[in-house]
Amino acid sequence: MIVKIKDRRRSLEACTESGWDAVDLLTEEPLSDEDIESLRKFEGSFLYLKQLKKPFFKIEGHNYVIKGVKGDPFFRFAVHRDHVDEIDKLVDMINRTDR
Amino acid sequence: MIYLNNAATSYPKPESVIKAYTDALRSLPSGQFRSAGVSDNADSFSLCRQRLGRLMGIEKWDRIYFSSGSTEGLNALIAGLGIRADQVISTVTEHNSVLRPLYNLREDAGEPVLLHCNENGMVNPELFEAEAQQGRAKAVILNHCSNVTGAIQDIKAFGEIAKTYGLIFILDVSQSAGCMAIEADESNVDALAFTGHKSLMGVQGTGGYYVREGLELKPFKYGGTGLDSRKIRYDGTDYEYEPGTQNAPGIAALAEAANWILEQGIDKIRAKEKALSDRLIGGLSSMEQVKIYGSGLSERGPVVSFTVRDLAPSDLAYILQNSYGIVTRAGLHCAPLIHKFIGSGEKGTVRAGLSYFNTEEDIDALLTALKEIVSSIN
Repeated sequence: MIVKIKDRRRSLEACTESGWDAVDLLTEEPLSDEDIESLRKFEGSFLYLKQLKKPFFKIEGHNYVIKGVKGDPFFRFAVHRDHVDEIDKLVDMINRTDR
Repeated sequence: MIYLNNAATSYPKPESVIKAYTDALRSLPSGQFRSAGVSDNADSFSLCRQRLGRLMGIEKWDRIYFSSGSTEGLNALIAGLGIRADQVISTVTEHNSVLRPLYNLREDAGEPVLLHCNENGMVNPELFEAEAQQGRAKAVILNHCSNVTGAIQDIKAFGEIAKTYGLIFILDVSQSAGCMAIEADESNVDALAFTGHKSLMGVQGTGGYYVREGLELKPFKYGGTGLDSRKIRYDGTDYEYEPGTQNAPGIAALAEAANWILEQGIDKIRAKEKALSDRLIGGLSSMEQVKIYGSGLSERGPVVSFTVRDLAPSDLAYILQNSYGIVTRAGLHCAPLIHKFIGSGEKGTVRAGLSYFNTEEDIDALLTALKEIVSSIN
């Protein structure tokens, strides 16, 4: 992923991911196709709906879900409450990736 | 942004409501019995109660008490009536503001009997009667209008049965107040809770409850009321239900909101919202991948829940908001038990909550977005 994560905020829609914790990871630049494709390396199913007005992507792993929209300066990371530490690992992994 | 989450909180508010709120903030504070009462706001409390009484079919409007909303109102009623949970009949359509007090307020109070609903969220009054006949229950708590399917329960039937078997009838009108007629007195309602910030068009942090004369309610909050500070202990016949400084600007806004609704006319509001929900349901019905919950309802509140096959509700709501600028709500909607009965399962639904201020264009935008989403999945 080219774009770095600069900050995080608690998801305002915590209830939607009922029983899970969700944060919005704020990026330095709006998400591009390259950024989104680079997320394929994370374990889990990959969905990318390119035909939408603003394309939507989702990676669903065993204990986490990453989702977002192309062009937004953030994406959402939802994690099961027993695996909250995965958030820090994900951020590290993204920020360490070659740019 | 197109706002279709009015079942959570309504937006926008009528201009006169916003003006009433800001006017109240700019005016000298109403005394609320604590000073000389220099402002005209001193009367807004009574005015608000009167208007709410008219909207909810309550003649004794002075038995309407303000609180921070339905949640506090329901807690006050459930805690204050001194009834054990296992003496209560309620339903699986209830919001957590009913379920959580019942299951948590008192230890060793057992569990309520919960009446099942059908796939549309309707609860058959015959089930209630069968349970009431057992003679164990002292109260029934009923959600007037489901915040998931929009199902409107037959409160007259429930009220008659409650009266026949001597049960206290408590009604949750959070979703119905302000958008449909509520004939509380005619339906033998003994107590009800309402919120100010949904269809009543007031601000968040307002609402209240009603308890009929003669029904003993012990408060769970005590404090200053501006009346006879010497009294520390109540003797059980003289409780006061509005301790602490009330949200006067909020109540002023709610008074104006109730006035606005009365001026518009409940029938007119209901007709418009019905037309919008009919338009939405008509459009959703044409999409084979879309499932509508409560599709069999002959009448409904301004709430439409749906899902799209092969797309989680949380993802659908995320796409609608972030790709299309349409705000809805996804999940269980704080009503965790109904989903098993309506077939929406653990992930719940996406819910469009409509208001008088929504337009046909809003509905058409949602339908267009859904067509694109459905097409992209295929």
